[in-house]
Amino acid sequence: MPAQKSAPPKTASPARPSDLLTKEEHLELLKHLYLARYFDVRLIKEKRRGRLTGTLYSSHNQEAILAGTLYALKSTDWISPIHRDMPAFFMKDLRGKWGQDDRIAMTVEEVCSQVWGRSGSPGRARDNWSHIGSKSGHIIHSTSMLAGTIPVAAGLAYANKLDGGDAVVVTYNGEGSTAQGVFHEAINFAAVHKLPVITIIENNQWAYGTPTHLEYPLEDFARRADGYGIPGWVADGQDVFDVYDKMVAAVEYARTGAGPSIIECKTFRAYGHGDHDDDRAARYRPTDDVNKGRERDPIAVCKRILVEKGMMTQAEAAQYAAEGKGAPQTKDEDFPPEVVEYLKRGVEYAIKSPLPDAAEGAMWVFRETN
Amino acid sequence: MSVTADAPATLKKNYLTALKEAIDEEMTQNPNMICIGEDIGILGGAFGVTEGLQAKHGASRVIDAPISEAAICGSAVGMALAGKTVMVEMQFIDFISCGFDQIVNMMATYHYRTAGEVSMPIVLRGPAGAYSGGALYHSQMNEAWFLNSPGIKVICPSTPYDAKGLMKAALRDPNPVLVYEIKNLYRMRDIEEELPEEEYIIPLGKAKIRREGTDITLVTYGQNVYHCLDAAQKLADQGVSAEVIDLRSLNPLDEETIVNSVKKTNRVLVVNEAPRTCGFAGEIVARVNELCFEHLDAPALRLTRMDTPVPWAKPLELHVLPSVDQIVETSLKIVRF
Ligand SMILES: Cc1ncc(C[n+]2csc(CCOP(=O)(O)OP(=O)(O)O)c2C)c(N)n1
Ligand SMILES: [Mg+2]
Repeated sequence: MPAQKSAPPKTASPARPSDLLTKEEHLELLKHLYLARYFDVRLIKEKRRGRLTGTLYSSHNQEAILAGTLYALKSTDWISPIHRDMPAFFMKDLRGKWGQDDRIAMTVEEVCSQVWGRSGSPGRARDNWSHIGSKSGHIIHSTSMLAGTIPVAAGLAYANKLDGGDAVVVTYNGEGSTAQGVFHEAINFAAVHKLPVITIIENNQWAYGTPTHLEYPLEDFARRADGYGIPGWVADGQDVFDVYDKMVAAVEYARTGAGPSIIECKTFRAYGHGDHDDDRAARYRPTDDVNKGRERDPIAVCKRILVEKGMMTQAEAAQYAAEGKGAPQTKDEDFPPEVVEYLKRGVEYAIKSPLPDAAEGAMWVFRETN
Repeated sequence: MSVTADAPATLKKNYLTALKEAIDEEMTQNPNMICIGEDIGILGGAFGVTEGLQAKHGASRVIDAPISEAAICGSAVGMALAGKTVMVEMQFIDFISCGFDQIVNMMATYHYRTAGEVSMPIVLRGPAGAYSGGALYHSQMNEAWFLNSPGIKVICPSTPYDAKGLMKAALRDPNPVLVYEIKNLYRMRDIEEELPEEEYIIPLGKAKIRREGTDITLVTYGQNVYHCLDAAQKLADQGVSAEVIDLRSLNPLDEETIVNSVKKTNRVLVVNEAPRTCGFAGEIVARVNELCFEHLDAPALRLTRMDTPVPWAKPLELHVLPSVDQIVETSLKIVRF
């Protein structure tokens, strides 16, 4: 049985959900793409200047997956981003709330403080990079163990459902992580109990140095959903509107109690696995494949659709040209000034944020009793 | 069957019933508590610890999970994140290895990673221990794995009274607590005892002196408590007075009770059915050296299982595990040092 490529489930509304978005919302999605891209560009530059420690797992070329999925969520919904999803932390709840820091899960200042390993980080820099979260902001705190938060998402969804809540829990995963045993256990559990858990697969064709055909033997990973008795959709991961459409369908399916689903977003990893791997990746990945994989930059795809829909002129589309370039070649002028300003605020805050006290290293092993 | 107040023998309860009562009482008092495990609902658990629980508290709070230890332990974390107290049953403690990552990396570190933002009120419990012909995968005492993983409390009750009081404390603790239930003790008649009518809690981290003595301290827990008590009796016949300490709680550890005893007896033997290398017995010996070396008249020693799996056939199993005779023999060696 083929995967449900584009057919929305019966419960979904007939029109494409993205067609119901206003012009402002269309433009806002483009801004979110710029924001995610600029974060990556800026951090790569910071890293090269030696101002950062740890590894940057670039989300370059994959931004539409984060922007499109997050745009379909409510702030009460939970997310669990992975290593490649740093922008997700400050993009959760951002829809219609640009500049309203008290109404989003995590501010750009907090996320930058985490990246810089400073005490201003929500986790006081106790674990690195993407391993942060927020109980109040509804972001699960992940570990390094791939696919490890899917069972946590299932338990969270179970408890929410028991309490009569309507929150959906979304985990992000690379396609390579789907080979973990816990992936199967958790999705099966979620399927048995029809839990509102959405599993996003960011299929960027590579898991570190291993191509997809050595991870699983399917053309469309989404077909795996059939075995769990749940829907599996394939989304064009370069098209923020297609991602949004599939996500709206999955959210509706989950929220109405129908159960979990999988969305496979097809994309391509722009660089090495992490910035430490860029040079080797240039050797283990054929140049032709890389060029082809990066042909459809999500920012360019989004602009083209905006122009087609008459929401943007060609001239407006050409005003900022962040697409189709490598991070080092991209300049601040390639982004709307408000995007640059937004992130600059985060970086400046982080750099001024003090390092945590050494003694904190021995704290919080246990919650104190009595 | 009717039970009357003037027939005290019938009021005695076994270790399993004590555990069951603790879990049931907490489920009743705490509407935010959920139980999850394999076959714990419809069946009532492989050993019956959760018998009647699902009928009383409902299938949504007493979950028959698929055979997926990682999903069980991981979903318990998610439930705790949503504010629930969770009791997780491992059908046998041996199978906990299949949920290992979720326990040591996800659950045990959650409070630490979040600088105290999130607590994990989760009890992981299951039948453990050898000496019962369970063979390699139904006999383990694998507590050392978890004692070496900061963020998890570990307890091991040896009597019905302790089983109930400690289980209730565990279910009220805001941290993950791993409970080694000794399956050989579940229905052991000799240790049945009356339990108080009124509610009681035994705080974690308090050892219990099971027998007082002056010549040597035997530090142990679990079913080895009974081996040590038998050995103490035999030692008494030979004029050696042994004190038996039942740790009950391994983390937190009651160092004070150990040290006070060693100050009195000046000799110590740690007895533990877990394997020797990097086992908890070695840790106790090290602590004794750190805390009261100057009070020792002989080296602090340990008696453990050999560094082998637990084999099946009876002679093999008994060969690798500590025995009463070995405890007597080693104690005499220490006393005559
Ligand atoms: C359980 C586990 N095994 C191995 C690793 C090391 N590791 C980190 S990322 C990665 C590749 C992940 O590939 P994929 O899931 O496709 O995500 P991507 O990095 O491509 O976004 C590996 C092997 C890990 N973090 N966790
Ligand atoms: Mg990948």
